[in-house]
Amino acid sequence: MAARDVRTELDSLILQLLADLEELEAKRAALNGRVEEGWLSLAQARYAMGVKSVGPLQYASRMEPQVCVCASEAPDGLQNLRVVRAGAQIPEEVGPREAALRRRKGPTKTPEPESTTAPQDPLNWFGILVPHSLRQAQASFRDGLQLAGDIATLQIRISWGQRICFPNFLQ
Amino acid sequence: MAGRGKLIAVIGDEDTVTGFLLGGIGELNKNRHPNFLVVEKDTTITEIEDTFRQFLSRDDVGIILINQYIAEMVRHALDAHQRSIPAVLEIPSKEHPYDAAKDSILRRARGMFTAEDLR
Repeated sequence: MAARDVRTELDSLILQLLADLEELEAKRAALNGRVEEGWLSLAQARYAMGVKSVGPLQYASRMEPQVCVCASEAPDGLQNLRVVRAGAQIPEEVGPREAALRRRKGPTKTPEPESTTAPQDPLNWFGILVPHSLRQAQASFRDGLQLAGDIATLQIRISWGQRICFPNFLQ
Repeated sequence: MAGRGKLIAVIGDEDTVTGFLLGGIGELNKNRHPNFLVVEKDTTITEIEDTFRQFLSRDDVGIILINQYIAEMVRHALDAHQRSIPAVLEIPSKEHPYDAAKDSILRRARGMFTAEDLR
């Protein structure tokens, strides 16, 4: 009976792994597509602005990240990576772990001083009026970053399945 | 860095790095090392490897994006990386399309189903 349970669980893990691999392949193809679109748009922007006008020479000397990765723990204990705007308010998750109800009016909080300078849009490095193709490139790479977060989460799940589950169940 | 989330680092050719910096991942100030490296023709493998290892050792980096042809140069360092974070993503470059057969994660997944495991 115990052996049957182990086999059933192993089967479900293998199916989950194969589903994750399939999803990973689809997201990879989407990421590669976005990145290629971004390169094309960058090339079009260079054609419009000049060959040396879109490159490392235009990078700012000070940069603040506009996007970052938030790691949260999924119900299965694995890390979930999400790409979010830096400084975005992430909604508090109230789940089964919360023993008490949330109060409607929480304790008064002293307002934190806001940062004096907002992160500068990297488009501004390349001039005030940039061609549409440069904005398109930015949009493509931003989409790519969202996909990168999903791909990273899938890779973590797949690696966990490889390293932890299978040696234990095959013993 | 508490409450700010982790950074996305990138090691790639000029277009790849410029593109992702346009996306808003760049961090550069006088106190910290940048979270990106533009690999040019005269960039040495040692420099690439040192930067990669630096990104791996930083606890504020969540994802490392690296062109696959550059990843091939430091494949031994990639394969030795077993932690889940930072996650390493191999991406294509203009001259080198993505090859799933070279990806470290997918190679390990393929290697799972060997004759020995199924005995």
